[in-house]
Amino acid sequence: MLEYIKQWLARRRGGTVGEHDAANLPSPKTVGDQPLSRSRLIVLDLETTGLNASKDEVIAIGAVAIEGGVIHLNDQFDLILRRPELDIRETVLIHGIGPEALTQGYETQDALLYLLEWMNGDPILAYHSAFDQKFLEKTLKSQLGYTLPHVWMDVAELMPAFFPKATIKGRGLDDWADVFGLEISERHHAAADALVTAELALIALNKARKNDVKTLKELSEKLHYQRRLQHMHRY
Amino acid sequence: MAAANQDTTRPQNTRAIMSFLREHAPFSSMDDTHLAHFAEHATLRFYADGDEVLSPDDGVVKRFYVVKQGRIRGERHNEKEDRAETTFEISQGECFPLAALIGERPTRTLHRASGDTFCLSIEQNAFITLFSESESFRDFCLRGVSSLLDQVNQRIQSKAMASIGSSNSLDTPLERYALRNPIVCSPDLPVRKAVARMHENNVGSIIITDDNRHPTGIFTLRDLRTMIAEEKGPLDTPIRQVMTGNPCRLPATADAFEAAMLMAEHHFAHLCVVDEEDRLIGVVSERDLFSLQRVDLVNLARTIGTATHLRTLVSLRSDVSRLVDAMLAHGADSGQVVKIITTLNDVTVRRVLELNLKKNDPGIPFTWLTFGSEGRQEQTLLTDQDNGILFETPEGMTEDQVREKLLPFARKVNDELAECGFTLCKGNIMASNPKLCLSDREWDDWFIRFIDASTPQNLVYSSIFLDMRAVFGPTEPLHRLLEKVLQRIRKNALFQKMLAGNALQRKPPLTMFRNFRYLNDEKKHSLDLKRQGLAPFVESVRVFALAHGVEAANTLERIDALARKDIFDAKDANAWKEAYSLIQAIRMRAHQEMLDRGEKLTNYIDPDDLNPLDRRILRESFRQAQRLQQKLEVTYQL
Repeated sequence: MLEYIKQWLARRRGGTVGEHDAANLPSPKTVGDQPLSRSRLIVLDLETTGLNASKDEVIAIGAVAIEGGVIHLNDQFDLILRRPELDIRETVLIHGIGPEALTQGYETQDALLYLLEWMNGDPILAYHSAFDQKFLEKTLKSQLGYTLPHVWMDVAELMPAFFPKATIKGRGLDDWADVFGLEISERHHAAADALVTAELALIALNKARKNDVKTLKELSEKLHYQRRLQHMHRY
Repeated sequence: MAAANQDTTRPQNTRAIMSFLREHAPFSSMDDTHLAHFAEHATLRFYADGDEVLSPDDGVVKRFYVVKQGRIRGERHNEKEDRAETTFEISQGECFPLAALIGERPTRTLHRASGDTFCLSIEQNAFITLFSESESFRDFCLRGVSSLLDQVNQRIQSKAMASIGSSNSLDTPLERYALRNPIVCSPDLPVRKAVARMHENNVGSIIITDDNRHPTGIFTLRDLRTMIAEEKGPLDTPIRQVMTGNPCRLPATADAFEAAMLMAEHHFAHLCVVDEEDRLIGVVSERDLFSLQRVDLVNLARTIGTATHLRTLVSLRSDVSRLVDAMLAHGADSGQVVKIITTLNDVTVRRVLELNLKKNDPGIPFTWLTFGSEGRQEQTLLTDQDNGILFETPEGMTEDQVREKLLPFARKVNDELAECGFTLCKGNIMASNPKLCLSDREWDDWFIRFIDASTPQNLVYSSIFLDMRAVFGPTEPLHRLLEKVLQRIRKNALFQKMLAGNALQRKPPLTMFRNFRYLNDEKKHSLDLKRQGLAPFVESVRVFALAHGVEAANTLERIDALARKDIFDAKDANAWKEAYSLIQAIRMRAHQEMLDRGEKLTNYIDPDDLNPLDRRILRESFRQAQRLQQKLEVTYQL
């Protein structure tokens, strides 16, 4: 894989975002006893051309970092990818990224390298994370040949795990945002959605602290338990 | 990576935070680059309901916070009652902790989240950068919360100034004023001769100049008074020893507004007007400036008091409005202004009565009573008549016979007052109503029934009849009546409790979440400043005042009296007076604006029309009203 990246670096052209040391990309962290209060967590949201991971593509990446239980706004990621060849007519209404903005975005490979460096291998949180994980992994593989597994956690699971009694209308990001009166500055803008997801995560982490969930491992176990609980309810 | 994007100069989340900040002071007056600096260096923090945000135990404060969502309350331990008290509330868009951060010390108050709360926060370094680079931010921080009140006052003043400016007088250059040839003398002239010269020229001041006609001092009648009273020397003293040196001066190109401000600032009644070479060319007195306005209070009161025709009185009403403008412009607080309006209204009422007595004296002495807001001396420009008559029945006459004579007279007076702009009372609370033109004995009976047989209808009238004042005629009969009434109320705990219950009917327009609660569905975005804002204060304070034998009817005076009697905590009393006055100020400003637009005066405002600062102040003032009502609830166990 590294060979591939080196080759690619040799022939890349167009807009760049800094210099990338593709040979030394940070390695993904694993779930362990790292205290949540000191961990850096990535909260990510993707905008895509559609819902089908096998044929649709990522067009924007927004992410913010939570560190020490706080969202650091100087540590965020807000990029539109340069994918002019993509047909986005179907979803342009939802996310508002028109063909023009797409052509002004960044070289996909460049942006992805930058993302990997920026994420620094830290655990990734997303709302309905399976969706984002599938798209991001597919894109990383096809563009960079990158296949290392990252830790993913689903904020859509995190919320009911810590607020089982909350009355929500549906299961979407908007529903939880409504419960806590959060405003989304621009819905379906990757960075804005990522921020509101991160705000929800802060609320959940605050509750986790009070419930004595202190490490990443404990948090992961709590989610595991939540999944089993839901599974049981299904039968 | 911040500003790397090409099609939008800043990331979405940075832009979103900037536009949030822009809605609140002091950020609303800060440059985008400074806002961006804030947004890019901010952290976003979450506090669940009840979480500590800042504590005195945390040591020196290192961060600056802005509430993004939710509320923060300041908590102080009340040792007497051993419980936590909320001392202040910080809501969306507001900053903390300014004093501690600037004083580089720990906070003195425990800050706790009240409801789920998000705060934006920057570190000391970023704060210092903003503090040194943004003037409006620095101003705001240094002046702290007290600057909020200043800002409101400044705004009230500048608004009033603008409306004066349109009448084209205060922005006239001083040189266009009819500058009197100044009376001057040399520094060595004995005081006696200088005063003689002032006397000959019928002026109140003399300017002392040097050989080049540069003003070196000023001597006024007031200085003469001080000199004699304090025995500063014989009248042969050279004037330079007793003059005020280095007199205030302005170039002839300066305008009347500058002159007025300079005078107001230094409390000087006279200013020297000089040319480019600092040579004296004239003197402007406060009187000169205001006589042009024709809004001098004393003068206006005199003009009203000696008017010989109703139509003169009617035409003078617009001067009252202009005076209010001028008063606001000169920084008078709302308490002073309402008193002045009431004073002028009183003069008008008296003059209408006098003119009618001249034409058609009913021949029976009476006291003209005024109730409600005029009784409390709290009238604004929007005012209707609430009046009545108190008489002593002459021997050999029945009360009904007296009424036969007084009622037609009262009818005429009510009508004429209406022409002068005092709207006829819709509830017929007017002296021409036979039920309100009563003898001392009848009034006493009336109040006995009112107090002992309280009905809900009675209680509605409490805000009118329990705030009573004599405007014309002998005051002694009213004083005797009031004494009896107050005594009865003090003894009647049930009546007090009912009054208290009634006072709690009108809640300040705040929702549980400290947002504004609007009037009703029809008037979706309006608040009634009088009924929802002022009434909770007026009515709660009335209950306490009557229960403790306070005779004053004016709400601010009642609060003072209650503080002196230790019924109110001194700090609370101040907060309530301030809150009440601020609502009143916002209401008066709205009235002036409606007048300017030629609209009918109402007490409704849309808080969305207010700037964020006023909105915040209004909200805090309403919160104070809630506190006052809570005290009433606790006192009367409601």
